[in-house]
Amino acid sequence: MRVLVVEDEAALRETLKTRLIEAGFTVDIAQDGEEGLFAGMEYPLDVAIIDLGLPKLAGLEVIRRLRAARKAYPILILTARDNWQDKVEGLQAGADDYVPKPFHFEEVLARLQALLRRAGGWASPELKCGAITLDTRAQTVSVESQAVELTTFEYRILEHLMLRAGEVISKGELTERLYDQDFERDSNVIEVLVGRLRRKLDPEDRLKPIETLRGRGYRFALARDQAT
Amino acid sequence: MHSLSRRLLVSVAVPLALFFGVMMLVLDTGFRTLSERQLHALLDSQMVTLIAAAEPNPSGGYDAPLTGLDTRFGTPDSGLYAEIRSSNHVWSSPSTSGLQIDFGPPLAQGDRQFSYAMVGHGRVAIESRGISFQDETKQGEPLTFSVAVSLTPYEQQLWVFRSRMLGWFTGLMLLLLVSLAALLRRVLAPLRRLEREIHQVEEGRSETLGSGYPRELSGVALHLNALLVGERKRVARYRDTLGNLAHGLKTPLTVMRSALSSDVASGTQTRTISHEIDRMTDIIEHQLKRAAASGGALLGQAPVAVAAVAADLRGTLLKVYARKDLSIELAIPEGSLFIGDRGDFIELLGNLMDNACKWCRQRVRVSVTVESGRGEARANLTLVVEDDGPGIAEENRAKVLERGVRTDEKVPGHGLGLAMVHDTVDLYGGKLTVDTAPLGGARFSLLLPGKKVG
Repeated sequence: MRVLVVEDEAALRETLKTRLIEAGFTVDIAQDGEEGLFAGMEYPLDVAIIDLGLPKLAGLEVIRRLRAARKAYPILILTARDNWQDKVEGLQAGADDYVPKPFHFEEVLARLQALLRRAGGWASPELKCGAITLDTRAQTVSVESQAVELTTFEYRILEHLMLRAGEVISKGELTERLYDQDFERDSNVIEVLVGRLRRKLDPEDRLKPIETLRGRGYRFALARDQAT
Repeated sequence: MHSLSRRLLVSVAVPLALFFGVMMLVLDTGFRTLSERQLHALLDSQMVTLIAAAEPNPSGGYDAPLTGLDTRFGTPDSGLYAEIRSSNHVWSSPSTSGLQIDFGPPLAQGDRQFSYAMVGHGRVAIESRGISFQDETKQGEPLTFSVAVSLTPYEQQLWVFRSRMLGWFTGLMLLLLVSLAALLRRVLAPLRRLEREIHQVEEGRSETLGSGYPRELSGVALHLNALLVGERKRVARYRDTLGNLAHGLKTPLTVMRSALSSDVASGTQTRTISHEIDRMTDIIEHQLKRAAASGGALLGQAPVAVAAVAADLRGTLLKVYARKDLSIELAIPEGSLFIGDRGDFIELLGNLMDNACKWCRQRVRVSVTVESGRGEARANLTLVVEDDGPGIAEENRAKVLERGVRTDEKVPGHGLGLAMVHDTVDLYGGKLTVDTAPLGGARFSLLLPGKKVG
């Protein structure tokens, strides 16, 4: 796994680099916003850790530009500014998680690994398949223009199915998307979730957005709109 | 008197009324004097004519034939009357027929008298003279010549004059006052503008006062603006300084922590140092954040749209708690506004929602109701954040809200964030209560200042 660390404070940068290597990562480093942006664009990364208070180019701006260039790997923000306004701004700019300083390295590592497991990438802001629209930034769903309230897991399953509309997705793959840990999960969980999803999206059983293929998995039956 | 305009108008009206009053008095006196002089002149000339026309009566006394006199003497009740009295004979002009006129007592020669009497419904002025004619034959007998003229026409004239004068002067005074009032409105317009603009700043619709005020007010406007700008800058500077301080401290702390945890030797010393690092971190979090809260709405800040902030926080929290299968419901009417600092509000709601997400099983709900209590000047917000988690036991509720809870006393898991919420709510003069949610977990209800009504 290749990780980019963008941090202007030298001691911290070195510590992170050392410990990430110990944990088995390949590490690239950058010490200011411009270097960070360059590295983020050019290298084939799996994940990035970006500090917000950078010289030359602000961390937030680096994140925004990476996302604008369709770089989809997860990004973890590291910063001393630990207030909600900055958190909201950071995550809206395109980051996936936020760790305030000072931190315990173990926590950073755990969050990195969680992000890597979940990585579905940064989808385009809106996903539309027939009557069902997903706003990936706000994490809201609407069916025929009516808002539908989904839980996090239901949302994630729907997002994954819609991103791969028309393809068959196995239960195992869906389980992986939901849970960090590796241990055996009752496959029934997915069935229950899909059932709940169906009931919420299609209470009158008209649209039939999700098909069950016995023994193989699930498929999203509505075609993805060209524009998204 | 609480109005500048009214004060001025009243202060002007009084001397004005006085002035006009005096003027009317002067004019009135002048008119009456003139009238009286006219009267006397008339009486005199009639008297002279009467005396010239008098002819001796064969049986004594004198008469005055009408041919030499003003025709009015010949017409009954004409308003002009005459009498010639001698000791044994009285001649009265035909105009006196049917009327009782008391011309006064007879006079000795050379005497003159001027008097008033009532004739019928009106008054008359009477001039009498004592005359005796001298001739060669006899001593002149004492005669009293009297002429009376009705005052009615004069009185009518005076009345007309007076009512006209009063009318004109009153009209003039009203006109003056109305013009003054209109002028005042124009002159005071900048004051009204100042009032309007200050109101706009209070409502957050504009940040400073405009320019172009007249010299007398420009000083006030400039200073007020300077005050507003200075105040905002000061708070921003203060916050930045504190933010930088926090940042500055956190980085070395991070390095220390990382250095410690990779240290192989883990003894009591390492543990102690690690613990102290944690404490320092907590202090920075708690104290600096509290100090940096702006604590109340600054003049000229735009109000905060609650629904938008909640939606942002929801998106952020869903990402942060991605490991959990949760749903965050928002029931917030569009147009709900919080009057206060945006940073304070985001921190407040962020902490509450974060707490709810941390402890919930699956559901978090944020709802807002806007209410204007009877007679309140503000439509206050009630913000409720609830979850379906284990809730907070009654005995712990007070502690959780306790201000400035020190690290070693805090209720495990409910940390500094809630104390900060309580502090902020206090600062804004609101109210925070904790109880059990219908969903089963904890419910935090906040009463916060909302939009000004009217």
